Amino acid sequence: MGDLTRRLGRLRPAAENFLSKADLTAAREGRRRFLRTSLLAAGAMTGAPLRSQAGEADPAIVNLPPWTTSPGRPVAARPYGSPSEHRSALQRRGPRGLSPLGANSASFCPLQGLFGIITPSGLHYERHHHGWHDIDPRRHRLMINAAHSGLIAESRIYTVDDLMRLPPVSRIHFIECSGNTGTERIRATAPTVQYTHGLLSCSEFTGVPLRLLLEECGVDFRRARFVLAEGADGASLTRTIPMALIESGEVLVAYGQNGEALRPENGFPLRLVVPGVQGVSWVKWLRRIEVGDAPYATREESLHYIDLMPDGQHRQYTSVQECKSVITTPSGGQTLLSQGFHNITGLAWSGRGRVGGVDVSVDGGRNWRSARLEAPVLAKALTRFNFDWVWNGQAAVLQSRAIDETGYVQPAHAELRAARGTGSIYHNHAIQSWRVAPNGEVVNVQVV
Amino acid sequence: MSKWFEWVGLALICVAGSGWAMDRYPGVGRAATVAEVRAWDIDVRADFRGLPEGEGSVVRGRELYGAQCAACHGSAGESDAFFTPLVGGTSAHDIRSGHARALAGSAAAQRTTFMRLATLSTLFDYIQRAMPWETPKSLAPNDVYALTAYLLHLAGIVPEAFTLSHSNMANVQSRLPNRHGMTTDHGLWPVGEAGDGDMGNGGIPDIQAERCMNECRAVHGH
Repeated sequence: MGDLTRRLGRLRPAAENFLSKADLTAAREGRRRFLRTSLLAAGAMTGAPLRSQAGEADPAIVNLPPWTTSPGRPVAARPYGSPSEHRSALQRRGPRGLSPLGANSASFCPLQGLFGIITPSGLHYERHHHGWHDIDPRRHRLMINAAHSGLIAESRIYTVDDLMRLPPVSRIHFIECSGNTGTERIRATAPTVQYTHGLLSCSEFTGVPLRLLLEECGVDFRRARFVLAEGADGASLTRTIPMALIESGEVLVAYGQNGEALRPENGFPLRLVVPGVQGVSWVKWLRRIEVGDAPYATREESLHYIDLMPDGQHRQYTSVQECKSVITTPSGGQTLLSQGFHNITGLAWSGRGRVGGVDVSVDGGRNWRSARLEAPVLAKALTRFNFDWVWNGQAAVLQSRAIDETGYVQPAHAELRAARGTGSIYHNHAIQSWRVAPNGEVVNVQVV
Repeated sequence: MSKWFEWVGLALICVAGSGWAMDRYPGVGRAATVAEVRAWDIDVRADFRGLPEGEGSVVRGRELYGAQCAACHGSAGESDAFFTPLVGGTSAHDIRSGHARALAGSAAAQRTTFMRLATLSTLFDYIQRAMPWETPKSLAPNDVYALTAYLLHLAGIVPEAFTLSHSNMANVQSRLPNRHGMTTDHGLWPVGEAGDGDMGNGGIPDIQAERCMNECRAVHGH
């Protein structure tokens, strides 16, 4: 246990109890012992140059490790590389407790351990409505047809190879399930940012604008104001997509994700990319586009993904993911192991465009200061923010608040409730709060 | 309609479109055949466009349901073991008014399928494309009619001696307990640059939060 302090640094890095209570105690004691030693050493050295000091020598320095004293493994030992085994605690995780039907479920992305804005494809969140298959791309087809005559000139069929022959574009966009943060609508519930905000990912997607394909079919954009997107999974999941977004060129039929093909869990070989819109509309395993002149009222826009209002009406076809942010470190389940400097970092995004700014509060929303936005700041993509903070060891409540380029300000829970009540699990984009206790433990709290 | 007549009709649809296929990328993709479109084009829209011809009785639906559905959904559509319950929470009053009264102000209440269902096409379309869970797309149109009829009976919307068909779907639609329960008057439907909001309120947000920076508001921790 003696080297835990050095391995952990100043923050217990992940939040899935991969450290036992005993490990954590040892880490804290190790930190205190190390600080005491250093302080004593510094006292003895008063007046002397502090470039180097007396005291314990770090065994990680003076005892040369095996990787410095032996040859390593050869090239291509792992032909499709995988992460370090020292990062194995960082995994997407399914619902806490037993899921009655794993093929109709979701897994959450470990936001607390990610850097920058790109989600590693293997950690991308999942939501399947009828399970996933690893589809044979040679047997996959994309059909484009119409609800009735007069909307397109010709129904067409494309193979995956056909689509890859067409001029591609690559765009970085976030995807967020509209049920993300759904557990937090009434009270703080989930223990970690993975479970409060982990139905969120961001990738570079490569594919063909759907507009190009519809033009090849001779679409009449004046009459055809909606399309139906349909998957090849057991559910053949369907959603209505607005033609206005397709006309803008933003909607893609994608086959690439972060430089490789889509992963099977994310729709291999084809998925729709609908920037700014909730994940369920990004139909995976895309097999068919039907051009229409009316919305379709499919199950996933009539029985689910509808937002219950206090008067008993449901808002239907709610699609845009509004401006939102969350601090990913420090966050619930993590522990600050020492006072002093801590970088507060997090993610901000908006389905209406670029993030215009992020404010951070360390006193539960009483006072705010602007965080630094890190480049790139892209429309309908995750934006990374950072904020300098020196923790004085007292209780603190950390919050972030994003503003997008339209001027929209991420609301507090009270503002969200005033408009929509608490009946819907969908579209909760309220400000998230993390309480830092004097012992350094960070927990999920709700500030109204 | 004879097969021959149907083919001619669909072929006419293919050539009668108002636009022209562009073919800027010769050799990439091809025209779909009528048989291909028919094989995949299974969706049923809210106005019942796409509904196949056929019929099915409540009695036949009860048999099918017992054999293929009850294990997950419960003997009367009440089970929440795997999915939200299909049936319950609606009343004869709701059938008259078109609003599931139990939805108002009930944040935590269980919401059954029939409490939410505003369009009968949705139920038919989903059963046809995705049920039963283990063998989706195995039901013939008459089976889907029968199962839909039985669920409507369980929900008190049609009597036991009822046969649902393509010709009376619209009549039953007018008895759905929550048929008036949906609104698109919100700002979360994306609109284009021209602001052509074909649904929704044109993208106007329902929350205007304040960007206060100093000495903002009382803090209530939970």
